[in-house]
Amino acid sequence: MTPRVPLLLILGLAALAGCTSEVTTPDPQQTIDAQLRASIGNWGIVPIGEMPAQNPAQVALGRALFFDKILSGNRDVACATCHDVSAGLGDGRSLAVGTGGTGTGVARRLGAGRQFTLRSAPSLLNAGLGLYTMFWDLRLSGNQGQFVTDPNVPFPAGLPNILTAQAMLPVLNRHEMRGAPGDVDVFGNPNELALLGDQQPAEVWNAVMQRLLAVSEYVAMFNAAFPGTGQHRFEHAARALAVFQMEAFTRTRSPFDRYLERDDAALNLVQKRGGLLFFGKAQCSSCHNGPFLGGQGLANVGAPQVGPGGAKQPPLDLGRGEHDNNDFYRFAFRVAPLRNVELSAPYFHSGAFRTLDAVVRHYNDVRKSLTEYDPSQLDPDVRTMYHGDPATTSAVLATLDGRFSRPLGLTDTEIGELVAFLKSLTDPASRNLASLVPASVPSGLSVRE
Amino acid sequence: MRIRALPLGTFLLAAWAGPVAAQLISIRTVPISQSHQFDLFPSIRMGMGGVSLAVTDSLHDPFSNPAKGVRLGASRFFGSPGVYSVSQGAGAGRTLPVGTWVRSGNWFGGASVALQEMDLSDANPFQPFPPSCPQCDVAQILQVQGVQLPSADRSHNNAFGYAMLGMAVPRKGLSFGASVLWSGLHGVDGVDLLYPRSARLTQKGHDVDLRLGALKEWGSGRSLSAVLVHNRFSSAHDVFYFDSFWDPGAQQFSQRPRLEENLDQTNTWGAHLEYSLPLRAPGWRVGWVATTNLMSHPKIPNYEIQAIPRDPGNSEAFNLGVGISKSERSSIFALDLLYEPIWSYTWADAAAPLETAHGTTIPAGGKTIENRFRFSNALLRMGLNQDLEFDQATKGLGFQLGLAVHRIDYSLVQNDNVQATTRRQHEDWVEWTPTWGLSLRFPTWEVRYRGSVTHGTGRPGVRSGGDEVFAGDAVPTTILVAPSGPLTLTGVKVMTHQVSVSFPFR
Repeated sequence: MTPRVPLLLILGLAALAGCTSEVTTPDPQQTIDAQLRASIGNWGIVPIGEMPAQNPAQVALGRALFFDKILSGNRDVACATCHDVSAGLGDGRSLAVGTGGTGTGVARRLGAGRQFTLRSAPSLLNAGLGLYTMFWDLRLSGNQGQFVTDPNVPFPAGLPNILTAQAMLPVLNRHEMRGAPGDVDVFGNPNELALLGDQQPAEVWNAVMQRLLAVSEYVAMFNAAFPGTGQHRFEHAARALAVFQMEAFTRTRSPFDRYLERDDAALNLVQKRGGLLFFGKAQCSSCHNGPFLGGQGLANVGAPQVGPGGAKQPPLDLGRGEHDNNDFYRFAFRVAPLRNVELSAPYFHSGAFRTLDAVVRHYNDVRKSLTEYDPSQLDPDVRTMYHGDPATTSAVLATLDGRFSRPLGLTDTEIGELVAFLKSLTDPASRNLASLVPASVPSGLSVRE
Repeated sequence: MRIRALPLGTFLLAAWAGPVAAQLISIRTVPISQSHQFDLFPSIRMGMGGVSLAVTDSLHDPFSNPAKGVRLGASRFFGSPGVYSVSQGAGAGRTLPVGTWVRSGNWFGGASVALQEMDLSDANPFQPFPPSCPQCDVAQILQVQGVQLPSADRSHNNAFGYAMLGMAVPRKGLSFGASVLWSGLHGVDGVDLLYPRSARLTQKGHDVDLRLGALKEWGSGRSLSAVLVHNRFSSAHDVFYFDSFWDPGAQQFSQRPRLEENLDQTNTWGAHLEYSLPLRAPGWRVGWVATTNLMSHPKIPNYEIQAIPRDPGNSEAFNLGVGISKSERSSIFALDLLYEPIWSYTWADAAAPLETAHGTTIPAGGKTIENRFRFSNALLRMGLNQDLEFDQATKGLGFQLGLAVHRIDYSLVQNDNVQATTRRQHEDWVEWTPTWGLSLRFPTWEVRYRGSVTHGTGRPGVRSGGDEVFAGDAVPTTILVAPSGPLTLTGVKVMTHQVSVSFPFR
């Protein structure tokens, strides 16, 4: 062999080396945790940090106000009436019963001559995390001190968060808390709040504060919570209500939250499979995403129409469509945040489904579910208010979100896995909130009834 | 260079292959080449593609087998400064080894020290916050949280110390030797790339390599050598990440630091045999080699980039090779061919009892994932040396060209004992390393230059949501809390240059 032969061989191969490209192989399968974490990462879902400790005096004031019926015109409804600690901070009913009703929670009944509120009472669990929107029709939105409502309510300047803004609204609502002109309270006295006009929110708030500051214990509590404040106004009460909710209702230590904190063992295999479905085949995450797994958007999910209906086209409830003259928003309602969803039955704005299994089966084939909806799932006293006529069904389906136009094709096993995943969103500490209920409130009104 | 991404979907099994790797078989499951960092010591054959089975390398052989120190001529000093760089800004390093070989009667020995400064990838900038939190001030948050990050200095120093002592028994053509190499490591090339999206990485480790060697040479030119190797590698990786979270107090996205402490440990016992002899045809020589490595991996790091969980493991690695060379007047051509079968078994332990798909329970400490790798690697090296002599052979000029081709091919069978599933995966790639060299020989000293460029290795990244997110790319708009998808690879070139000078001192 002459040196020239190996020299040429080496030079040739070296030149070839420069042109070589790597071998491409197919994407490998991954472990279920790798798949699930990749799926989660694609939807902006991150752990929730610790809620900072709140001002104890403000928490104490907010707690008293939350359970005190003095805020309602007829002194018969507290925030806690429709946001019951035994019902996941909702009321467990298809449609909420506001002022004039009797009983609590799921046993609450409509009072004579009263009307159900428009929709079900949403759970307040984790309402203080920093949501950008509130209410089923998103009529309140904003963040960092700028809030918008529809119809417009002139909020005082400087409200610190959306939960404070929200807390200022139920006392204005005649069905929920304020009452109707001519109402008398539980002591037979005239309801002075109900006499004020619907365009006088500031006057209503002032009237509520007059009631509160007539109770010496409340004066002391306001002074302790907001020292140095010359005049206590209703926004102080609203701030205290928000602070209490942030302190007491923030429950973010679910198995799923621990999984987000890199604990692979926090979810069992069935829940992980359900998670993959949630972020994949079932497309849940296309709406229920972000840090709260929802809470930010609107969708017409084909929920059955139940109730007295809105102002625009009664007895239909157009949802966001009540506020916008855009067909796109007809029958569109808030995408609910899903932490602790297991505890907030019944589901949807109309409380149309009692179980998560029923909800998932609805999503599995929305058109069929709506067309064949069984109103026996509703509370007996609202079944007559179910609007299942073909015209209504067609109207709802006409603007159905495109994601539900075709069945998902989930099997019974997959539905079970999805439900298992949804239950993994429950913080065990949120199952029993009874310790939050005070023995009494400063007004002396009944807490338990 | 065209950048292309290819899915790999596997991880680096970081079997250590340090500065004297000839008898240590490197196991790699991602094509990150690290050998260039540890090409410390001088060699007269590296420019020939690293051929070694049928040719001798009097400068480098004693590092591999201390008994071969007997082939050293006069006592001499050497220095072999070298640099390497990885394209795409994926790393670089500078090394200065100095040492001496001493021969006195039947005894011989050597010592060397080397200092190395290596740069981590400059394409892995820490992006403190995703776009969802543009107003976040990382310095302020760190101050509030009382966190002190390690220095952001990309350069890290490694130090190496080597000592060898041997004895010849000329009457029987035998020689024996023992050597120890200690490496203090604060930076191993490529490791930072396996922790994409980390804010900081500190490495601190060491390697101890002990060798006993024997060499038998017959007058006919035949030789048989054997080496026993024990290598203990341990390195700690402290990896800081910033995890996104929703801050309910500030009611906005924020980030918080997380420290992950990883250990990378591999212990190796190895045996190596070489036999070579001249053929009848003039100038021809043939050599054989057989190596076995038994490795235990008490702890394998949890690389952010890997998608296959595992914790400890063990490996059995072998190589069988044959080489041939042809010397003719002042030219040498040599060719080596090696086959490397390797079996590796790694697993992941359950931190807590886990329910399986069959309804049974894996107890804490039980195996949740079992990975069985089967490698069939091959290595081809070939090289040419041409010397030109002047002044009655007192001076010389030499040229070298060479090529090393390393094919890594493995299959993985992974049993997921939780899901009760089995999957199979196959990966292969080829690394091409053209080499070249130049030597100048004078009556009392010589200077050598060698260079190489390796193609086929790469810079890994992670695929996320259809986007290629490379280790060095900006943090994507999505917020990632964990490894997000199959690995990807961008091809890089590794360029190495080394100049060695040696001269006798008596």
